Amino acid sequence: MEVFSLLNPDIVALILTLKLALTTCVCLAFIGTPIAYFLAFSSGKLNPIIESIITLPLVLPPTVIGFYLIVFFSPDTMLGNFFILVTGEQLIFSFYGLVFASIIYSLPFWVQPLQSSFEKVGVKTIQTANTLGAGHFDTFFNVILPLCRRGLLTSFILSFAHTMGEFGIVLMVGGGIHGKTKVLAISIYDHVEQLSFGKAHYLAGGMLLLSFIILLTLYISNKNISMRVK
Amino acid sequence: MSSLFIKMKGELGSFNIDFEHNFQSDGITVLFGPNGSGKSSLISAVAGFIQNIEIFISLNGDVLQGQKNIPSYKRSIGTMFQDPNLFQHLTVNQNLDFAIKRVKSENIKSYNITKIEIIKCLDLQNILDRYPINLSGGEKLRAALARTILSQPSYLLLDEPMSALDIKHKAKLINFLRKYNREYKVPILYVTHSIEEISQISDEIVLILNGRFIESGPTSKILAGDHFQNLVGKFEASSVLEGFVSNIKKLYNLTTININGQYLIVPGKPGILGDFVRVRIRSRDVIITPIKINSYIAENILVGTILTIDIEKISAFSELIVALESKENKENLQILRVRITTYNLKKMKLSTNKKVYIYIRSVSIDRQAYQYD
Repeated sequence: MEVFSLLNPDIVALILTLKLALTTCVCLAFIGTPIAYFLAFSSGKLNPIIESIITLPLVLPPTVIGFYLIVFFSPDTMLGNFFILVTGEQLIFSFYGLVFASIIYSLPFWVQPLQSSFEKVGVKTIQTANTLGAGHFDTFFNVILPLCRRGLLTSFILSFAHTMGEFGIVLMVGGGIHGKTKVLAISIYDHVEQLSFGKAHYLAGGMLLLSFIILLTLYISNKNISMRVK
Repeated sequence: MSSLFIKMKGELGSFNIDFEHNFQSDGITVLFGPNGSGKSSLISAVAGFIQNIEIFISLNGDVLQGQKNIPSYKRSIGTMFQDPNLFQHLTVNQNLDFAIKRVKSENIKSYNITKIEIIKCLDLQNILDRYPINLSGGEKLRAALARTILSQPSYLLLDEPMSALDIKHKAKLINFLRKYNREYKVPILYVTHSIEEISQISDEIVLILNGRFIESGPTSKILAGDHFQNLVGKFEASSVLEGFVSNIKKLYNLTTININGQYLIVPGKPGILGDFVRVRIRSRDVIITPIKINSYIAENILVGTILTIDIEKISAFSELIVALESKENKENLQILRVRITTYNLKKMKLSTNKKVYIYIRSVSIDRQAYQYD
């Protein structure tokens, strides 16, 4: 963390934010994709329950999720305890705590576009691949994923952008420690609190522009974004 | 002889299936039944996509499902569903390669159809580099059929593959399937509810109704049978005559077919000289008389004997089954169903074993009634 202190604190926050968004997206690729696949192709009675749970972060105030995560991350719980055992650090107020929170917070943004993308591919296409001798993994990587390129891109961009814009949860779970958990959104908040409107302008304007560019790319490359809730 | 044994019992959604039959044929077997009779469920089961009911399937003695369950991608069965389902992200050529790359080593026979051959047979040269989105319905279907065949199956299942095709392309594809079946010894189970397709393609027919096996047998026998006639309804009731092309009148675009020594003139060119062809004749298009009338009303006058008369109590009609007189091969009995009003039946004083003259107008034989080039 010594290197960070030499840099402009805002640059540090920016790098941290990008790192967080990217890590979250990579984790979501491994967690969210199987969930989306399961929801798209199973007709189980549990589906509505799972879908509701995954969509919860869209409707709950971030502080509610933040509160429960703080409770959940405390060293008294299994997860908190396990994390201390492995890393010697507390999960709360750590970067990985942020990643964990972001995964939960951004999960619907990964799952939903990909799920409808999978559904569009349809069972018959998968069965056709099977009859041609393609096993499950073969079918997934050579038929389903290529057909869902756009859905995947949508999931990635939405989750990335959404993670970048987090504030409430990040503040509660991370505490805004410079170089460790202080992301861009919190930097802006701090600048405004200290009445440094000039610095806040730079960051807020930058975020605004970046978000716009991200969404523009998304809409140009994919005209049918489907988000069900919102 | 190849044998595909299927036994299925249980509830599929709200549908109750209880089917058991051993499909024993090296030729083309048509699975026929009305919509919702369970045809597609059978195909799905053989392909390996139905698990939750009691199923036993074996192919040539090897159990596919029952004591063990071989997953779909390991079964040497080629399946084509109603929708061609080409992979949208791949060109036609890449779609074909998808199948070729996944051929199991144990399925590689010394005598397999090659990619070059099938591209030629199914006329795919010009669309190889196109993506499915830029193909017509017929092109998609041909590409998908080529893809399925290139997976080198030892049994081919086709679920209403031609419902989207026009007559001309249908006939071409049917010819191809017959040739493929004979040359490469791959038995075909062909699902359809189109009577035209049956008379052209099938060697054998299996009837299914409400998820139950009804009967099976050679095409002409089943088509003339009561079960089949009941399934298609009296109005569409028809019979199939078989014979060889004996003369082609180019000038009038007519073809003469020799049916056991009697001649039938049909429009168009269902085959070349000596070809075996089938012609479907609707019962209501046949005129019969007890005496020979010297008349220009029809091109064809055949001779036969009435076998049975079925007077329908609730309608105005009677159904007659007439055996055509066989002048050459006595064993090959050709049966014709005739539908007339009971009024006319009484007027003509027809009874069983009576000799009758049969008039068939060539215009009533539609182009869909036989193979067509």
